[in-house]
Amino acid sequence: MAVGESQLETDTGSRTEVDYGWRHTVSTVMGDTTARWGFYIVAFVFLVSAYTMVDSNLARLTFGAFEDFTFAEWLPIFDHPERIPPPGEGESNVPPAFHAEGSMANPLGTDPAGRDYFTRIVYGAQVSVSVGVVSTLIGFVGGTIIGAVSGFYGGKVDDALMRAVETVYAIPPLILIIVFTVFVSGGSPDIIYAVFGVGIAFIPVFARIIRSEVLSVREMDYIEAARASGVKNRDIIRRHVIPNSFAPVLVYATLQIGVTILIVAGLSFLGYGAQPPTPDWGQMLSVSHGYMHSNVWLSIWPGVAILLTIMGFNLFGDGLQDALDPRIDD
Amino acid sequence: MRLLRYTLYRLLQAIPVLIGVTLITFVLANLAPGDPVRFMLHGQEVDEELIRTVERRYGLDRPLHERYLVYMGGVLQGDFGHSIHRNRPVLDLMLARIGPTLLLVVSAYAFALATAIPLGILAAKRRNQPEDHVSRIVALVGVSTPSFWIGIMLILLFAVTLGWLPSSGLVYPWWPPETYGHSGYGEHALETVRHLLLPMIALGTLQMATLMRVERTQMINSLQGEYVKLARAYGVPERTILRKHAFRAAQLPIITIVGLNLSTALGGAVLIEYVFNINGMGRLFLEAIQQLDYQLIMGITIVIGTMFVVGVIITDISYAYIDPRVTYGEEE
Repeated sequence: MAVGESQLETDTGSRTEVDYGWRHTVSTVMGDTTARWGFYIVAFVFLVSAYTMVDSNLARLTFGAFEDFTFAEWLPIFDHPERIPPPGEGESNVPPAFHAEGSMANPLGTDPAGRDYFTRIVYGAQVSVSVGVVSTLIGFVGGTIIGAVSGFYGGKVDDALMRAVETVYAIPPLILIIVFTVFVSGGSPDIIYAVFGVGIAFIPVFARIIRSEVLSVREMDYIEAARASGVKNRDIIRRHVIPNSFAPVLVYATLQIGVTILIVAGLSFLGYGAQPPTPDWGQMLSVSHGYMHSNVWLSIWPGVAILLTIMGFNLFGDGLQDALDPRIDD
Repeated sequence: MRLLRYTLYRLLQAIPVLIGVTLITFVLANLAPGDPVRFMLHGQEVDEELIRTVERRYGLDRPLHERYLVYMGGVLQGDFGHSIHRNRPVLDLMLARIGPTLLLVVSAYAFALATAIPLGILAAKRRNQPEDHVSRIVALVGVSTPSFWIGIMLILLFAVTLGWLPSSGLVYPWWPPETYGHSGYGEHALETVRHLLLPMIALGTLQMATLMRVERTQMINSLQGEYVKLARAYGVPERTILRKHAFRAAQLPIITIVGLNLSTALGGAVLIEYVFNINGMGRLFLEAIQQLDYQLIMGITIVIGTMFVVGVIITDISYAYIDPRVTYGEEE
């Protein structure tokens, strides 16, 4: 698809069925108010988590030059996200600033250990986003390989792979991931096992979508042409089948990041994801569960953070879907 | 007769999936580094001889494939092994806990369907009007919020702040009212509902949101269908079109989604049972995981996998019952 052509069509306001140019997609997504807000939220959360990721790994990134240093020391709005203040310093369970007993020093109050809750919420973005992206990527890559092979070869290979996929599908992801995490980690779960668990658990979903796309691409003339000119099956899959089945899977992946964050929040809440003192929204909700009667605020903020982040991915993903799928026209 | 054959065919198809579920669970449970008995002891120091005895007692000294076959032989006869931790048959433990989970999941679906279908139809009928926008926001928030957090918020609002509803446990309608000190069946039913309300909404919201989106899209598509145009041309009243022509065709994908989402609902039940202190399969699973109780974990995973597979088969069969063709002559 020539770029100029697709622009021309957008300019005249008409749109053809085959118009999949990426410029067109971008302009459609950004032209849709809700999708644009979704993009802003996603971009904001990504920026925040990139900042916290660099900050948390400063020592490692600079080969030890910035040991025990955090940007938080320069920015007065942040405290140290993990360090528990020594006894006497830092009051615990301070209510948020708009509360009569709160103060602007801790805009969202402090947690039971006396740490600034706002800092911990901000630094919590890092875990959610990186886990969401990495495990979706694992599911995406695994699913693409299985789905492409299954759809392209068909027959017995397809049958066997699809039965395997259905089997993994039959166990609820949360249960499968907890069993995986606990047994593989030898009884001491951590976020890294959760990332792989979630990724593997979602391979089947991706495999199914890719497979159905491949089934339709397989019948195309250009595949036949490639076959007739003697291109190897592996190269056909790699060069023709996968690139042409990509768009719907990409949309699905965006929406899947939201689902993954949701699942990981549940895992951490139950104690099988991120472990203290790492700031993580699900894990913070797990701690605050014990303070439901004495400090209501602790249970509210991490949930709001999760809700907004996932909403961003959903809005953006929906917008992307509308832009790529000419059938749905609202 | 056709339906019976279809049912049998679907049941046969489920067999390889169920075997796969047991295989996955078995392999995962044996992925743990070191041997099972030592793993279960959480690293405590015990006499070597004792470990050997326990291994022999539970057949853990045999090779892996042999253990799997022995285990599967037991499962086929309804014997899920023995919980080492609780010293009771796994089957008994699960049977005692399956009722509350079924009650929770079924009522969550009842809530989801009862809200999603009317709201989805309303949104489709009043497309791009305020009702539609509200339903979209509800659906968006519904799919973006963790169910356990909804549960926590409901407890904070209705139990802690307002004190209207209980925050934990369920009242089982199948137990006699006297067990709870209720005066009669009226109070018993009321208490059952009062306890069920919050966990039901917490677990059902995600399903409600998903189903509402699907219902809306389906109704919009369905209202644009040729048969609806034809019915309009025949002068069939708009209400009849909505109720009889458009509605029925739009429900087919809903049935499929209900079946497939059972997996999410059963997983969500683990979290909701934890938040609301409900003694169901989900809590039993978490306890088993915490105690690293092999046999119990395997039993629960297999039973939950089976529940999902059976759920999908039931929806598939009910799909076959609803004939998607709508006849026009009779409705005149």
